[in-house]
Amino acid sequence: MIPLLLIAQYSAPLAFAATGETIGQKSGVLNIGLEGIMLLAAYASVSVGLATGSPWMGMLAAIACAIALSLIQGFFTIILATDQVVAGTAVNLFALGLTGTLFALGAAKGESLSGAPRLPEMLPGVDPVLLLLPILVGCAAWGLTKTAFGLALRAAGEYPAAVESAGFSVTKLRLIAQGLNGLFAGLGGGYLALGLVQAFAENMTSGRGFVAIALVTFGRWKPWWALGASLLIGALEWAQVAMQGKSPLPIQFFTALPYLVALIVLVIAGKGTMAPGALGLAYRREK
Amino acid sequence: MMRVWMWAILCLMVLVGCTGGAPEGKEVKVEPNVGGGKPIEGTLKVALLTPGNVNDSGWSAIAYRGLKAIEKELGAEVANKVATDASTNDDLRSYAQDGFHLVLGHGFEYNAPAVAMAKEFPNTTFVTSSGGEFGPNAGAFRFYMEQAFYLAGMMAGRLTTTGKVAMIGGPDVPSIRSTFKAFAAGAKAAKPDVVVIEKFTGKNDDVAAAKQATLQAIAEGADFLIHQTNNAAPGFFGACEEKKVYCFGANENQNDMSPQVIASAVINAEAPFVSLAKEIKEGKYVGGIRLVGMVEGAVEFVKNPKAGAAVTAEAQAFVDGAADRILAGELVVPKDEF
Repeated sequence: MIPLLLIAQYSAPLAFAATGETIGQKSGVLNIGLEGIMLLAAYASVSVGLATGSPWMGMLAAIACAIALSLIQGFFTIILATDQVVAGTAVNLFALGLTGTLFALGAAKGESLSGAPRLPEMLPGVDPVLLLLPILVGCAAWGLTKTAFGLALRAAGEYPAAVESAGFSVTKLRLIAQGLNGLFAGLGGGYLALGLVQAFAENMTSGRGFVAIALVTFGRWKPWWALGASLLIGALEWAQVAMQGKSPLPIQFFTALPYLVALIVLVIAGKGTMAPGALGLAYRREK
Repeated sequence: MMRVWMWAILCLMVLVGCTGGAPEGKEVKVEPNVGGGKPIEGTLKVALLTPGNVNDSGWSAIAYRGLKAIEKELGAEVANKVATDASTNDDLRSYAQDGFHLVLGHGFEYNAPAVAMAKEFPNTTFVTSSGGEFGPNAGAFRFYMEQAFYLAGMMAGRLTTTGKVAMIGGPDVPSIRSTFKAFAAGAKAAKPDVVVIEKFTGKNDDVAAAKQATLQAIAEGADFLIHQTNNAAPGFFGACEEKKVYCFGANENQNDMSPQVIASAVINAEAPFVSLAKEIKEGKYVGGIRLVGMVEGAVEFVKNPKAGAAVTAEAQAFVDGAADRILAGELVVPKDEF
C-alpha cells in the first residue's frame, strides 16, 4: 500500500518552497537563498513554538523571518542590482551560520530544540497548514495567469522595460514577488521543522531549498506543475526508503534515485525552455 | 568599475589569507624522537579537536567530557576547538607548536592528518578516536561500540512480539555498518528467526528523513529499533513516540530523550582518555591502535530505570548474562575492521 497522505506531508515543504520560487522567478529574480531562508524559518518555528507553547506563533514567526530575509536579499538583488547568485549564496551561508550559532548557544545552556507543540489535526494526519498548500498553490496559479497584477509580474520577468513604460515599477513588482516567495519559503521551512518533526537540527533543510529551485524548472514555471513535481519527488523519496533492504542493490543507489529521476525528467521536460526571459538579470532603470 | 573593485578586494583577501597561515618553505626543525620514556615535568597540556560543537549531546560531547575528566583528575591544562576539513591541519599544527603534549582528534577523519603531523612534532602525541594508522607518537582508539549494540540487539530479539527489529542509520559508513551488524547478530542470538530491517537516510542532519525512514521501518513491522542518526535523532525518537514502539539510544546516554527509550548503547571517553593522558605524563606511551570496550569502561549498555514493564525481568537477566560473558572475555562480539 502506498501511504499517499505520508507522501503529501513529506513533500509539502518542497511544494511550498517551489511555489514561492515560481512566483519569484516569474518576476525575474532567481532566489538561490531559498535554502537559507527555509532554514531560518525552521529555526524560528521551533524556537518560538517552544517559547510560546503555540504552534501558530511558531508558524507566524517562521513566515515573518522568511519574509524579512527574503526582502533583505531583495534589497541587494533588486534595489542594489547585486549578482543574484552571489547574494543568494551569501544568504545561505548567513542563515546556516546564524541558526547554527543560535542552536549551539541554546545547547550550551542546556536547551533542546525538540518536542515543540504540534499543529492540531483536522482529519487524521491533515493539519491546517497542509490543507493550505493546495489552496495557496491554486491562488498562485490563478493570480499569476488571470489577474492584471499577475500579468505585470510576469512581464517584469520577461521584458521589464516594457512594464516600466506601461507605468509599473519593476522594483516594486519584484519586491512584492520576493515577499511572496518569503511567505511560501517560511511555510515550507516551518512545516518541515514544526509540522513534521517538531524539532530543529543544524542544517536540517539538507538541500531542500536547492531541490525546490530545481522543481521550478521541472514544473515549467507553473505552480500546479511544481506541486506535482514535488509530490513525485516525495513519492520517490518514500519509495527509496521502502525499497531499501528488499533488493541486492546498494543503498546508495536508492538514496540517489529521486535525484536520478528528477534529472531524467528534466532532460525530457526541459526541451523548449519556458524560463522567463529576464530571469536572473537585474533591472536598471537608467539603462 | 564595480567588478574591478570586487577583484581587487578578492585578491587582497587571498593575499591576507596566505600570509596568515604557516610560512611556506620555512624549515621545520625536527627534533630527535624522544616520544617514549620521557616523563613530562610541569603541567600536562592536552588539546581536543571535535567535528562538531561540544554541546551537541552526541559524539562531540562524549569527547569533551573525556577532556574535562583529564583536566580534573590530572590537573592538566586543556583546550578544545571545532575542526573540520580545511582547518584540521592548521589546528593540529598550532596546538603542537603551542607545546601541547597530547592532541586528541575525535573522529576517523583526523587519523591520517594526525599521523602525518606527528612526524614533524615528536614531542607531541597525537591520538584519534578512530582510524587505522599510527606511528611512534601517534595512534588511535577503537571504541568497541559493537559490544553495546550486540546487547541491545539481544534485548530487542528477546522482547519483540512482531519478530521484527530495525536499525535506522544516517550516512552509510563502515563504522555505523559495523555496529548494525553487531545489533543484528545480537538479535539473532536471542531469536534466530528474527527479521532485521535496515534503513539509511544517507544524511547526518535531515530530521524529517530520519523520521520518515523510522516510520517506514515501523510500518514494515519493527517494534524495537536502534539508530545511528546523529543530529537527526529527534526524528527517530519522534516516530517511535508517535507509533508507541520501543527504541534504544546510541553513543550518548539518551534515556531521557524520549519515554520510548528502554536503554542506550553508550561510549564513555572518560576512562580511556584519562589513562591515555596518564601514560603520556609518565612517558610510557607507545603508538598503536587501542581497542577499548566494556572491559575498559569505555563502552556501556545503560538500561533506562524508567522503562518499567517494557523490559521483562527475563530479558534483562538474559542480557545481563551476556554482558557478564563479554566482560569475562567468553563472548567475543563480531566487529569489522575499517
